[in-house]
Amino acid sequence: MSPWLRHPRLTLAVRVVLGLVFIAAALPKIIDPPGFAKAIWAYELFPTWSLNPLALTLPWLELFCGLALCLGIWVRAAAGWVGTLLLAFCLALSINLAKRHPVDCGCFGATAHKTESERLADMRWSILRDTGLLLLVAQVLWASHAANRSATTDGQQV
Amino acid sequence: MPTALRSTLIQFLTLAGCALLAAVLSNAVATPTRRLFWKPVVRALPPLAPPLLKEREPEAPITAPTPVVPAETRKAVPSPSAWTKPGPSVTSPTATVAEPPPSVPIREITAGEAWKAFQAGTPFLDARRSAEYADGHVAGAWSTPVWEADVDDRLLSFKAARRPGADDPIVIYCSGGDCRDSHLLATKLLNEGYFHLLIFRDGYPAWVAQGHPIEKGQP
Repeated sequence: MSPWLRHPRLTLAVRVVLGLVFIAAALPKIIDPPGFAKAIWAYELFPTWSLNPLALTLPWLELFCGLALCLGIWVRAAAGWVGTLLLAFCLALSINLAKRHPVDCGCFGATAHKTESERLADMRWSILRDTGLLLLVAQVLWASHAANRSATTDGQQV
Repeated sequence: MPTALRSTLIQFLTLAGCALLAAVLSNAVATPTRRLFWKPVVRALPPLAPPLLKEREPEAPITAPTPVVPAETRKAVPSPSAWTKPGPSVTSPTATVAEPPPSVPIREITAGEAWKAFQAGTPFLDARRSAEYADGHVAGAWSTPVWEADVDDRLLSFKAARRPGADDPIVIYCSGGDCRDSHLLATKLLNEGYFHLLIFRDGYPAWVAQGHPIEKGQP
């Protein structure tokens, strides 16, 4: 793979973009947990006992991961969580899309009332967006892995 | 296990632990409208009966601005008893509805049926979020946001004030369309022993579109 893909400046930009996206996604959900619980419930994928704990905990996890990515702290762990969450979001949206069951994504808090076809179109865009974000996560993880390996190699040479 | 992987794993779990701790703390200090219970909450949709065909009426054309009834002028407008919230001394005002006891405990009703129920003094429960209720609601409706932590307290207030019998009709509504908050609230009330629950299917938007009385503000 091209070395420019793991250029430190590119990695920094990707980290910050990912971090800001997750901070922006977390804040409305932290402010309004019942709204997020309702959004998760609409997916019809989770047992009822898990709805409220998920709605309370996930937004804080997004916020901490977003902050960690922006600040460059615990980057691999934060990117690991962000990747896991994005995969879960893609899967949840895809299952509902396959069932032609329109749901409000709930990604950035509750949205206005929309028609079924608008919702389905939004879901496709959300999957596309999450896939793009997953590529950014892959870049961060790969660059951080490469940096880690070269640091280890340098240490052994010294 | 390599050291780097182990430390990443520890960081991974620490992030989750911090999120859990923050969630517990923030939920403890949140206002009732923003709080959630950690314990399991029943979120099952009820079996439904469709609207009665014979009660369907041609619905009025959509009219422009809906009259908003300010609280102070409410008495001046010709209105059914449901516009005001009577105290505990009122004896089962909901029993005035001519509708026979239901064969099914939960039934969807049309806007026309909802209007008839309103005129007959049937209590209306608004299952939407309290912020939506404050933006506008059916005149005299009770705010019982099914997703908020204080819904039980609000239902207790409603029951104390209206004293509905188990077979008295209660109209429940939310935002129409794919909104299912009213269905969730109906399930909750069914579990509490009420079995004449009427879900106003098209909800608040249809009520507004037909120019029926609304109010704004907190309960």
